[in-house]
Amino acid sequence: MKFSEVIFENPSILILMEHFEIPCLVHEKTIEEICKEHNVPINVVLLFINLYNGFNPTQIPNFSKKEIEWIIQFLQNSHLYYTDYKYPEIQSYIKELTVLNTAPEVKLVETFFNEYFEEVIEHLEYENQKAYPFFKKLLQENSPKEPKNFSSEEYHSHHTDIEYKLVELKNLLLNHISLGNDGIIRRKLLMSLFELEYDLKIHSLIEEMILVPIMRKYE
Amino acid sequence: MSERKLHIAILEPSEIIYEGIVNILLSSTHNIHIFRIDSIHEISNSNEQEPTDIVICNPLVISSNFSEFTEIKEKFGALIWIAISYSFSEQKLLQAFNDIIEITDKPETIIQKIENFNTNMLLHSKQKQQDVLSEREIQVLEQLVKGLSNKEIADVLHISTHTVISHRKNITQKTGIKSQSGLTIYAISNKIIQL
Repeated sequence: MKFSEVIFENPSILILMEHFEIPCLVHEKTIEEICKEHNVPINVVLLFINLYNGFNPTQIPNFSKKEIEWIIQFLQNSHLYYTDYKYPEIQSYIKELTVLNTAPEVKLVETFFNEYFEEVIEHLEYENQKAYPFFKKLLQENSPKEPKNFSSEEYHSHHTDIEYKLVELKNLLLNHISLGNDGIIRRKLLMSLFELEYDLKIHSLIEEMILVPIMRKYE
Repeated sequence: MSERKLHIAILEPSEIIYEGIVNILLSSTHNIHIFRIDSIHEISNSNEQEPTDIVICNPLVISSNFSEFTEIKEKFGALIWIAISYSFSEQKLLQAFNDIIEITDKPETIIQKIENFNTNMLLHSKQKQQDVLSEREIQVLEQLVKGLSNKEIADVLHISTHTVISHRKNITQKTGIKSQSGLTIYAISNKIIQL
């Protein structure tokens, strides 16, 4: 199947490609050709494309070490997308909103979001500094020298909290916060929130349903 | 007036009758989602995700397991059962249904029968969907946004902590918001409190 067909069916695949460090110019090439050209494991790419299209895996394939390294790399690239691009984008929309809409609750939204963004950075840093290096070590050595310092329940509860605050924000913007002269910015903000939520959901899914079970086998 | 989607399940072995009903239903202007089932047991599965509103059913399919039918009817009390009648069925069987579609009914009549149930459901669901907080819930919300703990709120309002928690759950369910900062924004937007 041509890669371009996959993109036409679901444009969010463009973000998946960015996380895999695959540039947007795909010519008429097939998925297999693109993966070979950019040295990304096709099985992982196919699995994740299915996830983006709403198909959860029924069982996790036995991935090779190289494939698992790529899964971790994908997740790390996603983090950069969130912290360096998506969240700042939302932050700047909210700033514009406070200029256009002088209702008292709007200033609170800015505070709400900034505090939330800090929480997110903390969680992502935790993954970058503790969880992922631990996994990488497991892959290399097969037996960890230090005791594991994370738990999958904690993982899951962090993810739920992070996603929930986004839902609250969407809820407030759609149902409660009074309209100022801010229609267009509100729409841009909401769309950005929906996009972020979509990618975050899949990100959490990959961590909880794929990465953690795989790493369990290595322990 | 915004219309919610009507979920209709059809339990009818005959292809001809099934296609006929589907075509008539789809020719109406209502927002209808139709799906076919092969047995009444499938009702239990579908009701968890998106509740079925109406089941249009061939009574002969039910006649062999009437007791199971009554069980499911009781379990899903809000579900409307409409029989498709084109061969002889016992009166006792037909009486168990909310209404009957006859094979000789005109399309308008059939749609009208569906519509009658739809209006009742719309009124019922409108009341459920209100996210208007009760007076007590507003009082709890006012204290919550001041930063009081459950115990402190209970003391101020002279109710038990358990009741406070119950009110908080309702507030979250009605508004979709549970964090204190989120609820503060909600309260100000709806003029429940002022900065």
